Formats: sequence, structure tokens, C-alpha cells
Amino acid sequence: MSLDVAGPPADRAFATTSWGRALVKATHFALALLGLAIVIQAFIVVQARPQDLVTGVFGMADLIRRAMPPNFSELPSTIWPTLQTIDIALFGTLAGIIIALPLALLAAANMTPSRFAYYAARGIIGFTRAVPDLVWALLFVTAVGLGPFPGALALGVHSVGMLGRLFAETIEQMDMAPIHALELTGARRLQVFSQGIIPSILPSLLGICLYRLDENIRSSLVLGFVGAGGIGFQILTAMNLFQYQDVSLLLIIIFIIVLSAERISAALRERLA
Amino acid sequence: MLGVRELSLRYPNGKLALTDFNLSVAAGEFVVVLGGNGSGKTTLLRSITRTVKPAAGEVWLDGIDLCTLEGEKLRRARLALAMIWQHASLVKRRSVLANVATGTLGRHYTLRTVFGGLPASELEAARSHLAEVGLAHLAEQRAGTLSGGQAQRVAIARALAQRPRVLLADEPVASLDPEAAEEIMRLLQRLARSENIAVICVLHQVEFAFAYADRVVGIRNGRIVFDLPRDQVPRDAVHRLYLPEAA
Repeated sequence: MSLDVAGPPADRAFATTSWGRALVKATHFALALLGLAIVIQAFIVVQARPQDLVTGVFGMADLIRRAMPPNFSELPSTIWPTLQTIDIALFGTLAGIIIALPLALLAAANMTPSRFAYYAARGIIGFTRAVPDLVWALLFVTAVGLGPFPGALALGVHSVGMLGRLFAETIEQMDMAPIHALELTGARRLQVFSQGIIPSILPSLLGICLYRLDENIRSSLVLGFVGAGGIGFQILTAMNLFQYQDVSLLLIIIFIIVLSAERISAALRERLA
Repeated sequence: MLGVRELSLRYPNGKLALTDFNLSVAAGEFVVVLGGNGSGKTTLLRSITRTVKPAAGEVWLDGIDLCTLEGEKLRRARLALAMIWQHASLVKRRSVLANVATGTLGRHYTLRTVFGGLPASELEAARSHLAEVGLAHLAEQRAGTLSGGQAQRVAIARALAQRPRVLLADEPVASLDPEAAEEIMRLLQRLARSENIAVICVLHQVEFAFAYADRVVGIRNGRIVFDLPRDQVPRDAVHRLYLPEAA
């Protein structure tokens, strides 16, 4: 693929003159400078200091030395927070699915009963998605206190946004011919929904749900850092108490959870495809 | 049985799609509608099913004017009208039998069909409709795996499951190979007679009209040009249906 900077035929004719060629070159140069300026400002804003990477190596090496070997004697005490982490994700995903499905029907252009319903549903989906799950967790920790429940609520609300958008897109891309055919047989709306729409999109919806569960398991690990329970909270506590061998054990568990969730989700989605 | 009287419909661009259209079809009669693209054939079928609302006129089915109906009354009236299209419009991930059985949904309570499925008697009836179209052996197969001809036969079985009084077919063989197309036409003709169903079939294949129809209706610019038994239709009149506007 080539980038046709000269544009439509009239512009192309202009670009063949010497003035035109000079102007095109100047534009390219200006664009290159602009790109460079954007990269440089990013370095300045994030206060990037490559030399710190070199000095930081010793600090990291010291941390790793103190974290080895992992404290496997603490393994029994990690079972409960591990279960909490998985259940936070499970609860959040299920709550998200239950709320997102009806919202998605309202937010799908080919299904919505009215423009008002469409924009209202799109608004809710957009808002719940725009606010990060970590921020939702902070809000719910303030509202309902520390523990796994605010984490589950945070993931549930954020999942409404993520699932709602993907569900709505799936519904919009659905082949409508079988649906219209069912409507003309005299079937009622709920019958068309249960016998036509759901069977048509179910595999896609399940695939999206499994992917979301996979994502939520990763997120639930982080939510613990703001007091929303689970294994993240254990890591935060161990870090604060300088128990690095406990931290390394917890990191191994996280690695196993994330990898297992990813593999199981991918395998199930493959079967559904 | 089915009567279309003085039916008129205008497209959103202002062009008349149907003008003072009159048509009667008796039970067991097989009527083929011929006409060029944009002549109003599909609009006629859409007006009968009330997918579009005519500007004027009446569509009578068993003594009821469908043009006066809305909501639940229209839904109930539609139970007697089955429709098939160029593409079978099946739910591809469901079994052939499940697709056929959806034709009966409108006769049953919503919650029963949503949570309890259809009665066993309806599933048995769906099987017999599949046998009628020669596909009983494919009942449990996924609809998405069927050939075009098989899928169209399943669509016809679904229409039969509806127990219709009228079957409307909009270019049902347009996307099929000649052999499959012949099969579908033979099937529609046979069903019209054996099930005593009034069939209105929109076609582009003139030869099929002369081979299978009891009556042939020619349309041009939304108006009936001829409505005659097939052996009385002049070939040149059919030819003129497809001539460009200026001719």
C-alpha cells in the first residue's frame, strides 16, 4: 500500500510542477518534525532518565535476592485470598452480563425500541466503561468498606460498559433475515428473541463473556491494592511488611492463575467458534 | 380466499409502486407473478403481509381486511400467511427440526415456548413436514450445513408448520441451480394442491411460470398487464414486461 499524499487528480497535477513538488517536500518535512516533537515532549513529560535504569538494576537485584526462595510454608494461607480473587472476577463478570445484556438490546441500532432508549443505553454503557475499574473500586471501598465485595461491584459496573458495547456490536452485526422471517410467522417479540436472536448470537456472546472473565481475573488481582480484597491485598500487605519471600510466592500464584484463566478461556472460545 | 382490491402504494421517493391493483387467489391455486425489476412484485407481497402499509386499498383474507389491522390482531392474522424468500433465512446454528418448529411459535403461549419449548406433538408435526419436503433424514443436522436447495426446502417446511392458508414466495429459486430450482417449483405446485394452499410466487424465470403456474399475472410499473391461465398467456405480452421504459 502506498501513501498518496498528492491526493485527488487535480492536486496530483499541481504536485508535478516544481513549486508543487517543493511544497509537498516541505509538508513532509514539517510532518516529520511534528512527529519528532511529539516523541520528545513525551520523554520530557514522563521525566525519562535512562541512566536510572542502570542504577536501578542493583536495587532490583537486591529485591530479587531477598525474595528468594519463595516462602512456600505460607501456601495454605494463600488459598482463601486466591479463591477471593477468582470469585471477585466471577461475581463481577456475572453481574456485568446480567445488566449488560438488556442494555445491549436497547443500545443496538437494529433492536432498540426508540431513539431515547438507544441514547440512554449508549450513555450508561459509555460512562461505566470510561471510568476505570480501579476508580470504581476506590468509590465502592469508600461506600461499602474494605473487602472483596467492593472489588466485585467495581468489576461488575466496569464490565457493564465493556460487555454492553461488545454485545451491542454483536447484535448489530447479526444477520437479520432469519429474525424478520420469524416475525412474519406470527411469533411474538419474546419468542423471536429466545428462538431467533439468542441462538444466532449465543456463541459470540459466550466468547465475549469468557474473554471478559479472563480480563476480570487480571483486574481483580490489582483491585486488592486499593483495599478490595483478594490476593492483591495480600501482596500489598507483604510489601509493606518487607516480606519479599511471601511476595514472590504470591507472584507465582498470580502467574498460575492468569495463565490458567487465559488458557481455559482460549480453549473454551475455540470450542465455541 | 385472498383478495387484493384497488391496492395502491407509493415509495418514499414519490413513485407509485402499486396502482389500483386487483388480484384474487383461490385455495389450492398456484399463481405466478412476472415482471421486471422494480415493477412492484415484491412490494405486492410486502403489502399482503403488511410489512408495508398501502396508501389505499384492501387485502382480504378469509373475510378480514388486513389493511385495517394493527398489533396483536395483525400478528394473529399473519399466522395464516407464510412467506419464503430467495434466501432461506434459517437460524443457521439451530437444527433443521428446530428451524421448522419455529413456524408454530405464534400459536403457543410465549412463556411456554421460551422456557418449556414446544409441545412434543408440534415437534412430531415438524418432522412430518420435513418428510413432506423430503428431508426427514436431516432433522438433527445444523441448518448452516445445508445446501441452498435443501435450505429452501426447510424454509418451505417451516412455512407448512405455520399451517398457512396462503404461501407467498418471493423469487424462491433465484439463487438455486437449475435442478434444485425445478425441485422447489415442483414442491410448491404439489403443496398448493395437496395442502389446498393458495400460492403466490414471484419469479423471474418465465419458463417456470409456463411449466408450473395455474395462472400467470404480469406486472409493469405497479399495474397488472395481464392475469390469465398459463396456456392463454401470449408470449409477446410476457416479453413486453421486460422491455425498457421507453419501448
